[in-house]
Amino acid sequence: MSDETKQSSESGEAPLHGLLAEYETPAQLMAASEKVRDGGYRDWDTFTPFPVHGIESAMGVKSTILPWLVLGGGLTGCTVAVGFQWWANGVDYPFLISGKPFWSLPANIPITFELTVLFASLTAVFGMLALNKLPLPAHPLDLKERFARSTDDRFYVLVQASDPAFDEKETRALLEGTGAVAVEAVPEDVKSEAELPRGIVYVLLILAAFSTIPFALAAYAREAKSPLPRHHIVPDMDFQQKFKAQRENTFFADHEADRPQVEGTVAVGELHDDTHLYQGKEGGAYARTFPPSIAIEEATMQHGKERFGIYCTPCHGQVGEGDGMVNARATSLAEGTWVPPSNLTEDRLRVMPVGEIFNTITNGVRNMPGYGRQIPAEDRWAIILYVRALQRSRGASVQDLSGEERASLK
Amino acid sequence: MAAADYDSWYKAPKGDNDLARLTDTVLRVSEAPTPPVGWYVAFALAVSMLAMLGISIGWLFWTGIGVWGNMHPVVWAWDITNFVFWVGIGHAGTLISAILFLLRQPWRTAINRAAEAMTIFAVMCALIFPGIHIGRPWLPYWMLPIPNQMNMWPQFRSPLDWDVFAVSTYFTVSLLFWYVGLIPDIASLRDRATTTVRRFVYGIFAMGWRGSSRQWHRYERAYLILAALSTPLVLSVHSVVSFDFATSQLPGWHTTIFPPYFVAGAIFSGFAMVVTLLVPARQFFGLKNIIEMHHLEAMNKVILATGTMVGYAYAMEFFIAWYSGDQYEGFLFQNRAFGPYAWAYWAMISCNVIFPQLYWFKGIRTSLWAMMIINVLVNVGMWFERFVIIVTSLHRDFVPASWGYYTPTKWDFLTFTGSFGLFFTLFLLFCRYLPMVAVAEVKAQHAHSHAGH
Amino acid sequence: MAHGKEVHLEDNIQIGEEAASFSKVALGVGGAALVAALALGGGPFGQQFQQSYIVAFMYVLALALGALWFVAIQHLTNAKWSVVVRRVAEFLAAQMPLVTGLAVLAILPMVTGHSDLYEWADSAKVQANHVLEHKAGYLNLKFFLIRCVVYFGFWTLLARHYLKQSLAQDSSGDASINKSLQAISAPGMILFALTLTFASIDFIMSIDPEFFSTIFGVYYFAGAVACGYSLISLALIWLQKKGRLAHAVNREHYHDLGKMMFAFGVVFWSYIAFSQFMLIWYGDIPEETHWFHVRFDGDWKVVSGALLACHFVIPFFGLLSRHVKRNRKTLAFWCFWLLAIEYLDLYWLVMPNVSEGVIPFHVVDLLALVGTVGLFLGSAANAAKGKNLVPTKDPRLADSLAFQNI
Repeated sequence: MSDETKQSSESGEAPLHGLLAEYETPAQLMAASEKVRDGGYRDWDTFTPFPVHGIESAMGVKSTILPWLVLGGGLTGCTVAVGFQWWANGVDYPFLISGKPFWSLPANIPITFELTVLFASLTAVFGMLALNKLPLPAHPLDLKERFARSTDDRFYVLVQASDPAFDEKETRALLEGTGAVAVEAVPEDVKSEAELPRGIVYVLLILAAFSTIPFALAAYAREAKSPLPRHHIVPDMDFQQKFKAQRENTFFADHEADRPQVEGTVAVGELHDDTHLYQGKEGGAYARTFPPSIAIEEATMQHGKERFGIYCTPCHGQVGEGDGMVNARATSLAEGTWVPPSNLTEDRLRVMPVGEIFNTITNGVRNMPGYGRQIPAEDRWAIILYVRALQRSRGASVQDLSGEERASLK
Repeated sequence: MAAADYDSWYKAPKGDNDLARLTDTVLRVSEAPTPPVGWYVAFALAVSMLAMLGISIGWLFWTGIGVWGNMHPVVWAWDITNFVFWVGIGHAGTLISAILFLLRQPWRTAINRAAEAMTIFAVMCALIFPGIHIGRPWLPYWMLPIPNQMNMWPQFRSPLDWDVFAVSTYFTVSLLFWYVGLIPDIASLRDRATTTVRRFVYGIFAMGWRGSSRQWHRYERAYLILAALSTPLVLSVHSVVSFDFATSQLPGWHTTIFPPYFVAGAIFSGFAMVVTLLVPARQFFGLKNIIEMHHLEAMNKVILATGTMVGYAYAMEFFIAWYSGDQYEGFLFQNRAFGPYAWAYWAMISCNVIFPQLYWFKGIRTSLWAMMIINVLVNVGMWFERFVIIVTSLHRDFVPASWGYYTPTKWDFLTFTGSFGLFFTLFLLFCRYLPMVAVAEVKAQHAHSHAGH
Repeated sequence: MAHGKEVHLEDNIQIGEEAASFSKVALGVGGAALVAALALGGGPFGQQFQQSYIVAFMYVLALALGALWFVAIQHLTNAKWSVVVRRVAEFLAAQMPLVTGLAVLAILPMVTGHSDLYEWADSAKVQANHVLEHKAGYLNLKFFLIRCVVYFGFWTLLARHYLKQSLAQDSSGDASINKSLQAISAPGMILFALTLTFASIDFIMSIDPEFFSTIFGVYYFAGAVACGYSLISLALIWLQKKGRLAHAVNREHYHDLGKMMFAFGVVFWSYIAFSQFMLIWYGDIPEETHWFHVRFDGDWKVVSGALLACHFVIPFFGLLSRHVKRNRKTLAFWCFWLLAIEYLDLYWLVMPNVSEGVIPFHVVDLLALVGTVGLFLGSAANAAKGKNLVPTKDPRLADSLAFQNI
């Protein structure tokens, strides 16, 4: 709307906004529009209940720049989508999914497409509203009762008084000569305020200010440090109704959550009354033979080799000579308190009873910890079988090999 | 209002010319002091179903996903079936608005408004299901690219995240498209309003639209651009939904025809739903002269065409499953057609491929009862299609030891039927308070056809 | 506004001399090129000829099927705008008998056991390959020949019927012909979809007999339809240059044809191509990925990239503007562009399986293309000679003449 208003001669109360002519059909409107256009007017418009085809040329309306805005919006969406996906998944937080490259363009195309369309559509709608200067709460035409039919079945021409070529008498004559049903003066709207009422503005401002509080709190919480546990709006499974090990439990007399074994009982499978198998002892002395339940065969040896590789090699080395990684590291530190692990193939251990070796593995010796808790008894025996084989292999002669094996060495 | 008053209200539109009578025919529906009695009955029914949805979701949130029948190996079941079903239905509106607009099909103006509204409501129903099936429904924002407490970004290479973008973009653009189309009609309602409240509320939403030709010019261009953008968008949405399945390696899901096949199926079910809704709506609200029989017939022809396309896709899947020589593919399709879910498979085939073939006959195409029955069957069939795709592909996977049979629980039923409550509630409110037909467009068409261009 | 505009159809809707001379040149050049291709390509059983020819043949088939689809869809939807354009498409589609003749050259090596392209046509290779053995129920010579008879027979019948009925309407003015053609088009379209799908599987997809893709038929369809629209537009532009149809066809019709070229040749093709590629890339199953692997390896990488750029990116921006589609010169440029790129697409579908890593370009490729296209266009021009280029008595003609884009 133009602010510069020309004084109207007719109405004393409100200045004249323009002249309104009403028509019954689109064809009449078209003819009238051509006349007004040819009259050299600039600030004028037609109002119709539906888009009348051909009115643009009848009015001399230039084509809108909206398509270019939309193209720009679409390209922006495309760039933002590709750029953000590249940055988020390829740079800022790369993680591997099903062997796909961190930045996989084919997998980014769907989102890129969607955002292109989204940005373009938003530009189309809001660009159209902005170019049309909508929303527009009040207009002088709203005061004209007959103008209510502009969204129903009538067609109107409005020539504004702000137009340089506007002359109330001449313009009225021009409009009346176009077969208008009526030509009426439209006064400016002096009642409706040009701006929003102050009260509404204040309320909106206060609401806007309040709406930033959650964001400010979130931003603060992301940076601040606090000794208190975090808030759990939804606790998920962070808190469960159960007693954890080593915690206090007032239900029991001893106030411990862990319960000791009931005296005089043995858990199923925990009897271990076979001293040969579980302690390596026969009649109080270290056994010199393997327990009968351990099969002395290749499979047991292979199993022992595997377990040896897992539990023993870090200190005792690959072939049991006491040169494992831990030893190498400790020696290189040269701190003087290190007791080197035994060379398992030395003579002392070659003659040591298997029961004693079993006892050492189970309970440890010197600075070697006991492995009884970690390695089942059967596996310990299998390891001993493998250790015996290692001992045998040291200092073995060619004659110990079979004919075939000897042949394979050639 | 007594029945007689009611009849007279609806029968004779006011106005001394065609344009005025057109405006009155459509807009008086939302201006009537009270809606028809049938509306109240339908609304009461819809709201009670909506309450059922609320209870089901409440119980789900309180208890957990275990209330549903989903159980290994069928980890996606009715939840995703319902999601795809509703998204599919939500395709017709924007399609009618956009593609038919670009193809200049004059019959679209009678139905596009209601179809667009239906789209928006269907997409809302669809969005519920992925939202509630994630187990921790208070964390869906993890799928969006906003900073979260884990300092992690979403996995943009995942089809499930594409879905988030596709469906939310689709919802936004459909809403804008619908709203832009509504602006001139809301302005009409504002100008006809007799009470301050109506004038104020409609006035807010009309945004000061007064029908200026300079504004119409940009408005029409914006509408055309939105149509051009929505057309590939509507195709992309169901394609992306199909990617949820087709990017996997699961037989029955991994097949290249899925994107266009899903799109055809979506149009198929969406059009069927539009006809199902419009047939009663035009009877109740006296819109028979605007939503004419040949409009419905044209819709039914599209249903026939897309149903046949879906049949083509079924055939190609079957043929290629055999042709590929892949034993898992071969087994899957055999299992679909003759396995424990054969009943679902044949329900799908008969509803989607066989019954729509009746539309070859003009008599059936133009019979209100026949089209109501067939189109409801089409939607039943399309629900079964998604069920078949999801459940039969999952229930017998590569390891026979983990095979299983999926059975829904009562909460599955209640949630699904409840989603219809949401849909119908919104649709009935729309019928009551907003113009069901795009009046301005119908008037434009009327004027042009009578003015001889 | 265009209502009531009198168009003097009688003055300018027939082409005689120019069509005859064009036909002579095209047939001559085409025939000579085909003979040269045979001579340089090692005769009908030479490997070079076989591979060059199958690409050229599928290309001409795409032109004919594209035109046939155009005619069928216009009848099916009872389209009004396209009436002035339809006759040209009918002439192009009606060259199906010639295409059938050209098909014989493609099929001959298979029948005689000389095929270098189709492993499944060789029983020794089938027995050595478990997958081929499984597929032999479908991929065997006898069934293939039966299918060919069905394909070409159906297309010929449909295309000739459209032309014949349409020409008959010119003299009789019988409006019921529209109804009957519309009725035929519905089942015709279903058969068309099936025949085109299986023909593309037989002639192209089975060159790599282990590859399978459910979308393959749609992929070939997208290219064929784009070709149809491009060729129809070019033919109209040529006719108008010769002073025919000066008023009947205007920029509104070109605008619509251009929109369809954009929709099918650029957007739909890209959609289908992307669906096929992305799903196979993402699924990453060896039996599918090998097909793309050879196409992303060596020199073929360049061709794949060129397809992306020239079938999508460049024409997308090129054809986006309405001004481009409404201007005959710019539209002609994009018609040639899309027609050229469809050939590249078919080349890319066939050749990587023949020659991995290296583009096997040979002059026979060009000669075969010029040969088949020359014969096709020459034959179409000959058929159109002296006939009406517009269905003069179609009841929808007035609407088509008055047609305006929004």
